Amino acid sequence: MIEEDKLLIGKTVEKINKTITEDIRIMEICGTHTHQIARFGIKKILSPKIRLVSGPGCPVCVTEAGYIDALIKLLNYENVVVASFGDLLRVSGSCGNLEEQITLGKKVVTVYSPEDVLNLAQRRKGENIVFAAVGFETTAPLYAALIKMARKQKINNLFLLTSLKRMEPVIRFILEKGSVNFDAMLCPGHVAAITGTAPFLPITTVYNMPAVICGFEAMDIIASISILCRQLTGEVPVQLMNTYKRCVCDAGNTLALHLINEVFQISDANWRGIGIIIDSAFTINSDFEEYDALKKFNIEIQSSPNVFLNQCDCGKVLIGEKTPDMCVNFGRKCSPEHPIGPCMVSSEGACAAYYRYGGNKV
Amino acid sequence: MNQRIMLRHGDGGLLTNNLIRDIFYKYFDNEILTGYQDSAIFQMKAGRLAFTTDSFVVKPIFFPGGDIGKLAVCGTVNDLTSAGAVPLYLSAGFVIEEGFEIEKLDLIASSMSSICKKAGVKIVAGDTKVVEKGSADGIYINTSGIGKVHKFFNPRKITSGDEIILTGTVGEHGTAILLKRYELGLKGDFTSDCNPLSEIVSVLGDGIKHVKLMRDPTRGGVANALCEISDSYNIGAIIEEEKLQIRPAVKSVHELLGTDPLYFACEGRMILVVEKGFGTKILNCINMLDDCQNSQIIGKFDDLYSKVCVRTWLGGERILAILENQMISRIC
Ligand code: SF4
Repeated sequence: MIEEDKLLIGKTVEKINKTITEDIRIMEICGTHTHQIARFGIKKILSPKIRLVSGPGCPVCVTEAGYIDALIKLLNYENVVVASFGDLLRVSGSCGNLEEQITLGKKVVTVYSPEDVLNLAQRRKGENIVFAAVGFETTAPLYAALIKMARKQKINNLFLLTSLKRMEPVIRFILEKGSVNFDAMLCPGHVAAITGTAPFLPITTVYNMPAVICGFEAMDIIASISILCRQLTGEVPVQLMNTYKRCVCDAGNTLALHLINEVFQISDANWRGIGIIIDSAFTINSDFEEYDALKKFNIEIQSSPNVFLNQCDCGKVLIGEKTPDMCVNFGRKCSPEHPIGPCMVSSEGACAAYYRYGGNKV
Repeated sequence: MNQRIMLRHGDGGLLTNNLIRDIFYKYFDNEILTGYQDSAIFQMKAGRLAFTTDSFVVKPIFFPGGDIGKLAVCGTVNDLTSAGAVPLYLSAGFVIEEGFEIEKLDLIASSMSSICKKAGVKIVAGDTKVVEKGSADGIYINTSGIGKVHKFFNPRKITSGDEIILTGTVGEHGTAILLKRYELGLKGDFTSDCNPLSEIVSVLGDGIKHVKLMRDPTRGGVANALCEISDSYNIGAIIEEEKLQIRPAVKSVHELLGTDPLYFACEGRMILVVEKGFGTKILNCINMLDDCQNSQIIGKFDDLYSKVCVRTWLGGERILAILENQMISRIC
């Protein structure tokens, strides 16, 4: 199988490299794509004329400082345990991060899945578990299911502090910016598996930009890039294509969408380094407000625009204006060991993937 | 016998003696240890010696494929092996938390004893301390070891073309521990690779003169070990992804968690850097050992590269950067 893949990929790459004679830039929106492109070493086999740039699809990287501040604030309440995925621990708020709170003796627990959180709430009945529910449409249904499960099992010590983002508004936001800095889009297969293809249609129909919904295997990525190149050179018309049909159907996952609609409502969100984007968040709706940490503890998430200390270029990296190596801190002051910005924290982050896997330069 | 460790087990009195006799002497029985001296006294033949020490704190104490005792013996034995030494004698120091079940201690000592037999070493000195409940997490073990370095083993500068051998599959110990520690509930065969590798030195015999360096890829896994070697000799390397053997179950866990098995600890593997042109010869010797049957030449040091790079199966390349932090769970 792999031998056949290799041959096929080799041929496709050869063809791509031959057809592309002018510089083009393709944005992969999704953090997992960034990660996979780096892991397979795809940039190295493509012609240097093809630049792949990362978009705002790493959930950790777009989590604003005010959200981390709120989690830290909650840790000061008696009996509060914060449950979080590991990669959120080192994202800084306006003063410090969750990892430092652990060293101060605060109760922060790393979890690996929403189920872990449910078990935690069952095990530690005398404490209030606040789950840092960060993610996109991909994780939102899991969180919705978690909340429903908690209700069913009459668990009343579990609360979610959500920072759940929607993909469609950020894509529109980037495309409507004065200077769009790329020529085609590789769209996130995981998100599309939930939402269906509709949210991605405007990329081609409204903005006339080539776009492909893409899976995460090397073959998916190369085939999608090949289609994007053919659309760019005019060989085929610009239209939304789906190379991830094995997981993505036009209507999406109706069960998951139903869960999302049942538990969440649409609100505005502050994206780290980007700012407020209208209608770009899911927040817990009034039917399930007893699970909303904001309501339970009566706190607010303060927007803190001033997060780009030390000249961190995350904001520009996230919208494809800069590649990580164009940031003055990259690899010098900023590394996965001492991350300055969130793009270096999460293994999905553009800077971390670039650092770890070498970007274009090996 | 009492069922649990009490503080009095550590006060040097009758209970301490009983514990030592009923558990440690039972399993670590040898004339040097039981000679009732404060120090082990033994004869050494002339030559170079290697001496090493390490402390073991592992959670969980029992994991698929081993336990803290097996780990403590393998860790020290493999450190000696990587110095080109045949391990001879070990010491074992135990720090035990009050309330620890004696039955568990018995199991740990018994597995230490069988690994010592397998590795051909003797535990000739030891110490036991009991600390109050809450002052330790179950049990900690320190092992030190002494071994005789092979007369032809001479670690030396790594140069372009030197070949890299890895003696088996990747990241199984770290993965087994991760799954057990976080009770991730994934099904599949996740067993630690924890094993003593002392036979490597003897099976290589005089051929060891072609080995420039050995390193056991424990914490930080194969990736960190290679990066450290590359850093200290200021030379890059190219590793062939297709030569790295990762068990499918391990691979899928890491795909799920978004982690990289190359950064996960091995406790029964060795990296050998072999003089250019001698890779296959050394590989053929090592392959004869039970615990090294999956050995492969995984790549070479190469001054065309400034860092450790992996050539991916589709012909791309990526850098293996040093990872100072623990691998973390990823959202999505
Ligand atoms: S290298 Fe660091 S400081 Fe620069 S953009 Fe990336 S995360 Fe921000």
